[in-house]
Amino acid sequence: MSRRPTAPLPYGLLTPALLALAVGLAYPLARQVVLSFQEYGLAQQFGQPATWVGLDNYRDLVADPYLWVVVARTIGFCLACSVVTMAIGTALALTMRLMSRPVRLLLQTGLLLAWATPVLAALTVWQWLFDAQYGVVNWLLTRLGGDFAGHSWLLQPLSFFLVAGIVVVWMSVPFVAFTTYAGLTQVPADLVEAAEVDGASPSQRLWHVIVPQVRPVLLVVGLLQVIWDLRVFTQIYVLQQAGGVTRDTNLLGTYIYRAGIGEGSFGVAAAVAMFMLALTVVLTFPYLRRMLREERAA
Amino acid sequence: MRTTLTLAATLSAALLLGACGADSDATTDQAGGPDTADIRVWINGADTPQEARDWLQETFEADHPGSTLTIEEQQWDGLVERLTTALSSESETPDVVEVGNTQAATFTTAGAFSDLTPLLDDLGGDDLLPGFVEAGTADGSTYAVPYYAGSKYVFYRKDLFEKSGLEVPTTTEEFVAAAETLKADNPQPANFSGFWFPGQDWRNAVAFVWNAGGDLAVEQDGEWQGALSSPESQAGLETVQELMTQASGAPKDGNEADPQTPFCNDEIGMMSAPGWVSGLINDPDAGCPQMMKKVGVFALPGDDGQPAPVLLGGSNIAVAAKSPNQDLARDALALMLSDDYQSILAENGLTPAKQSLAGQLGDDEFAAATIAAASNAKLTPPAAGWASVEGSRVLEDLFVAIANGGDIAELAADADTKMEDQLN
Repeated sequence: MSRRPTAPLPYGLLTPALLALAVGLAYPLARQVVLSFQEYGLAQQFGQPATWVGLDNYRDLVADPYLWVVVARTIGFCLACSVVTMAIGTALALTMRLMSRPVRLLLQTGLLLAWATPVLAALTVWQWLFDAQYGVVNWLLTRLGGDFAGHSWLLQPLSFFLVAGIVVVWMSVPFVAFTTYAGLTQVPADLVEAAEVDGASPSQRLWHVIVPQVRPVLLVVGLLQVIWDLRVFTQIYVLQQAGGVTRDTNLLGTYIYRAGIGEGSFGVAAAVAMFMLALTVVLTFPYLRRMLREERAA
Repeated sequence: MRTTLTLAATLSAALLLGACGADSDATTDQAGGPDTADIRVWINGADTPQEARDWLQETFEADHPGSTLTIEEQQWDGLVERLTTALSSESETPDVVEVGNTQAATFTTAGAFSDLTPLLDDLGGDDLLPGFVEAGTADGSTYAVPYYAGSKYVFYRKDLFEKSGLEVPTTTEEFVAAAETLKADNPQPANFSGFWFPGQDWRNAVAFVWNAGGDLAVEQDGEWQGALSSPESQAGLETVQELMTQASGAPKDGNEADPQTPFCNDEIGMMSAPGWVSGLINDPDAGCPQMMKKVGVFALPGDDGQPAPVLLGGSNIAVAAKSPNQDLARDALALMLSDDYQSILAENGLTPAKQSLAGQLGDDEFAAATIAAASNAKLTPPAAGWASVEGSRVLEDLFVAIANGGDIAELAADADTKMEDQLN
């Protein structure tokens, strides 16, 4: 096979990106794959040689019903959060289009502040709001006639995830709202007007004119949401320290952390992490395929 | 894009092979290091008084011109996780670390600390608290030495006791009754605690298990077995449940951090806390100094009228095996065990690491309670995997469930299985 010799420049330009990928992505991933086939505990962390155990870590995991509980919980939480985030975010973006400038600026500033608040600072505030003893939520609900004095929001897994979900959604809505709004500004106004003149109702205009126009944006944002909500960690971890039952509220992220760094079974933790990677691929694959197909069609 | 992917795949395959070979050369030199360096000391929580910190820094820097010593305060919560990550990295590791006495065994057996056996005599030898030396010893070598001890004792409100006509209890039964009387006599606020007992507080709960003759785990033929479902342990767990449900207004799933907040808020009749909490109550910013005159203390009573077997609290200190500054780190550690430094700890209510300095605790009510509480104190099971039990939060989960009125036999059996998973 004869090929036109290529100049070295393109490869030279590619090198920095490849190096970054190799250091930031390929090495940790490779290390994780290796770890998942080893019995790797605290002693190995401090220099003992690790023993190869083949698929043992995986076998133990698959046989442990708790893993499946955590997986189901994680998927449920991820989908619920993503759907709610997308719905609220898109609704806000659509409303922004109709707002007068000052009101829109006010809303955007608020969203931006929520987006810019560091996770831990925001979590501390949310934790105080929902504090069983001194929280303002309980105080308010009691004032309104409910029996919420000393009610612990984190105790029951369902209400734990409700609180966690509120925090997660609150933090991700701004991104969805802004990105979707940016997409919406690209929808040609005359197209919408033409539809209106042709007698399309508002909901018809929304579903048949506007949404198809911003579909690529919605797809990308939705995909990112699913990925982010699947690997949610900080919110759950911090809330677990504050209250709640750890075992009943573990998601994959905190489960990996507890197995690896908490209990010192890094091999097992790596195996769960591989599992999570596979899950991410499975969950996002339909999205990706659709996105690629649409890109090719465009 | 496709080329990038292929290249990335090739690269990762190459790295994968590289990663396999890179793990085996971790034997760290156990002594030496540069003449001057910046020594980092990890101290946990607010336990160590500021006076001691200043003394350590000034003395070390005066003894070692050109070197500096920085104290970095860590939270007790999540410490095992933080040590696991920090100690294994040569560039990130602190040089001297404080570790909870119950957590020490896990790190000594893993090889995270340098061998201090040759220095042991200079550091105090037989004068050092024996239970703590034992906790820091693995296979005949000592890797972590005692820093201070301190068991929790009971803080109570003298005025509320008087109002309810109560005397300081001398048996477990009287203690539980007093806690319930206080709760009943103080219906407002609704979250008032006769005895403040948040659900995650297994470190206090275990005293009741031991007091009833039970245990957390026992070793049999080299295997660890959970012992919480033994009849004695269950009797202890029932006392815990009674106190948590009948006498405590603390959050059923809360942890025991910051007891001074509800205490200063008039929400507590009795609480079991480390001695240094009196310093927090006395703090004009964080606490309520005017409350101090109403505060009394006593050691938690046991079944037989003697102090109950409470958890022997306290910590060890060690030199990180991966620290490049072994000699300087050892000097810093020696200063922390010096009579001067340990006397400062003693004056602030911490039981010093050297038995000969116990007299420095003074002779007030607080010192008496400290000494009484320590007289019958016990340690968590000396299993290598104990820190993993703590890391997995099995015990926190167990007592939260108990605080919520769960079935003791079922919960105890379940916790036993989970502990066995971690211990063996």
